[in-house]
Amino acid sequence: MENLSLLMDGFANALTLQNLLFALIGVLLGTAVGVLPGIGPAMTVALLLPLTYALDVTSALIMFAGIYYGGMYGGSTTSILLNTPGESSSVVTALEGNKMAKAGRGAQALATAAIGSFVAGTLATGGLVFVAPFIVSIAISLGAPSYFAMMVFAFVAVSTVLGSSRIRGLASLFIGLTIGLVGMDVTTGQPRLTFGQPLLSGGIDVVVIAVALFAVGEALWIAAHLRNGKPATIPVGVPWMAKDDWKRSWKPWLRGTVIGFPFGAIPAGGAEIPTFLSYVTEKKLSKHPEQFGHGAIEGVAGPEAANNASAAGTLVPLLTLGLPTTATAAVMIAAFNQYGIPPGPLLFETEPLLVWTLIASLFIGNTLLLAINLPLAPLWAKLLRIPRPYLYGGILFFATLGAYAAGMQTFNIVILLLIGALGYMARRFGFPVLPIIVGAILGPEMERQLRRSLQISSGDPAALVSEPVPVVIYTVLAVFLLVPPLVKSIRRRRAGTRTGTGGTDGTGGGGAGPTIPAPDAPDSSRVPTRVAQTHPEHHPSAFHPDARA
Amino acid sequence: MSSSTAGTPVTGAPATGTPTVSRVPAVLRGRSELGVAALLAVLATIVAWDAAHIKQLSINVGVMGPQVVPNIIAVGLGLCAIALTVDVLRGGAADAEDGEDIDLSQGAHWPTVFGLAGVILAYALTMEFLGYVIASALLFYGSSLLLGSKRYLWALVIGALLAVGTFYGFVLGLGIPLPAGLLTGIL
Repeated sequence: MENLSLLMDGFANALTLQNLLFALIGVLLGTAVGVLPGIGPAMTVALLLPLTYALDVTSALIMFAGIYYGGMYGGSTTSILLNTPGESSSVVTALEGNKMAKAGRGAQALATAAIGSFVAGTLATGGLVFVAPFIVSIAISLGAPSYFAMMVFAFVAVSTVLGSSRIRGLASLFIGLTIGLVGMDVTTGQPRLTFGQPLLSGGIDVVVIAVALFAVGEALWIAAHLRNGKPATIPVGVPWMAKDDWKRSWKPWLRGTVIGFPFGAIPAGGAEIPTFLSYVTEKKLSKHPEQFGHGAIEGVAGPEAANNASAAGTLVPLLTLGLPTTATAAVMIAAFNQYGIPPGPLLFETEPLLVWTLIASLFIGNTLLLAINLPLAPLWAKLLRIPRPYLYGGILFFATLGAYAAGMQTFNIVILLLIGALGYMARRFGFPVLPIIVGAILGPEMERQLRRSLQISSGDPAALVSEPVPVVIYTVLAVFLLVPPLVKSIRRRRAGTRTGTGGTDGTGGGGAGPTIPAPDAPDSSRVPTRVAQTHPEHHPSAFHPDARA
Repeated sequence: MSSSTAGTPVTGAPATGTPTVSRVPAVLRGRSELGVAALLAVLATIVAWDAAHIKQLSINVGVMGPQVVPNIIAVGLGLCAIALTVDVLRGGAADAEDGEDIDLSQGAHWPTVFGLAGVILAYALTMEFLGYVIASALLFYGSSLLLGSKRYLWALVIGALLAVGTFYGFVLGLGIPLPAGLLTGIL
């Protein structure tokens, strides 16, 4: 059990008084910012990133772990207490959670979300401890063609699985790749898309891209359509659960964890599919299916657990392969790069203590989160009433600060505004934002792997399929891209009465639930293609492009 | 790509039924997305043009020069532009983003959006001269008023407090210097 002893070293390194303080600050700030309406976990992490600039790597990563989990917990508080959820991964939580809050059971909804997040986060981080070294041991022997293939897979996954329109996802991806091109070519030092501007030769800072897309784009978009009048928030007391609530919650927590972790761990990304699957599963298995749609606690417990488990799962490809598959993970890559420690299999070899300290701090952050946030929930609920002009004015205030601090250049603020306008456009026309940032981050890396593959073979493209991993991945992709349209056309021909699909207006998952093939839910090997093809139809607005996740 | 275009109108169909953000006549509604397709086409042209102007050095000639990937991306952008045009003309659309504070039943309020963009641009241009504190306080003040705050004094006070607090937090707390500008010597 070598990983356990390494993990213990990590704990020893993380559990100093100073580091605990940083974890505490991270959890508090992460939750406080994450609770604010309109701010999802990715924006939370991006906005708070400058705070870690001055810290040493270990403290920064520990604070980061706190911010990460805090931001996610804050997001679920928002979706329970405010009607419309702010981020795609909390959409499902809001379905039952907000109904519970309206029925005066907000305290129980918050409690099952918090405790479920803790249980799932802890179990899934435990999963990370065991899975990560295993993947590293494989990944270390993989060559450039395999990495190239995995990146292609991640690209296809983030741009076509999520969101409702493949063409828009791909367009987003290519825009992101274009942003990633800017700067000096790493291999030959040739400037590309710099237009003679020396400030562009180093490329556009990922922090600037992230803050622009998530904070500025969002603030501008909301500013254009700001809802008049006071938002209807629901005051809430200290979260607690009665015996019956515990009885109804613990199984959904565990099932949510089991569903969430693998979905996070495969580089296909996103918490939307696992949270939705968890919801459908709980609805199917519940003894009180009639309560679904009116505030069933299982419908909060399961998806919340799935959400957190998949968030911990996304750390597997992030840490072991350097592949970000969610917006938050993309911002975390930026944080790692800030310290010159790009994630990947080598990180486990060169910086084992650092990696295991980070993993240990995930456990610590998760525990602190539960201990602090249960009593503080009423306070967080008050944050929801912050006047909107100050809220969005404040977002712009901190977004410009983050962009400026990323290079101490006011030029960055101009770039911020330009990419922010792009973020606005994406929201207006329903283009997913995630492929833009993933393309910008992974694009240069993918080019490097592609060149390396071809260099070894002196230009023979057959090198790209010279290892077993790429062959498998390309086959999966082919199936994945070709089967759903085929199934769809077959179904369309067959179905006369059964197609009540495209017409639903997406007001809630409750209505969409029954038409999903739920018995297949736990069978994760078959689900991705099914879901990719079914859920956008059933659920046009709720499973919206991953804009704020 | 053809398969994805064919699939989209089905997916996007409900979106056209929901109230979209537009005051344009019904015939043109939803077609403003053609502007995005045009943007993609322009991007494709710029990337291709830039790639064509990369110097041909002996180091590039080897296996794969720095112009190969930009060319692939330019082609990708171009194909996306075409596919998106076809999709939009067929009536395809995706839902605009909804959220807690978003009311999609009204059209976009452009004065606010362009006002905010102007404030940010002015901030970028004047920040090093005015100094972080003054510029940021004004940024907060300006954006709050644009976003509809009616408490003219309060917004200024909050902006000033935020700016001073952040300045000292960064300089003293994190050791990151921010420009003092006009207030050099006072702060």
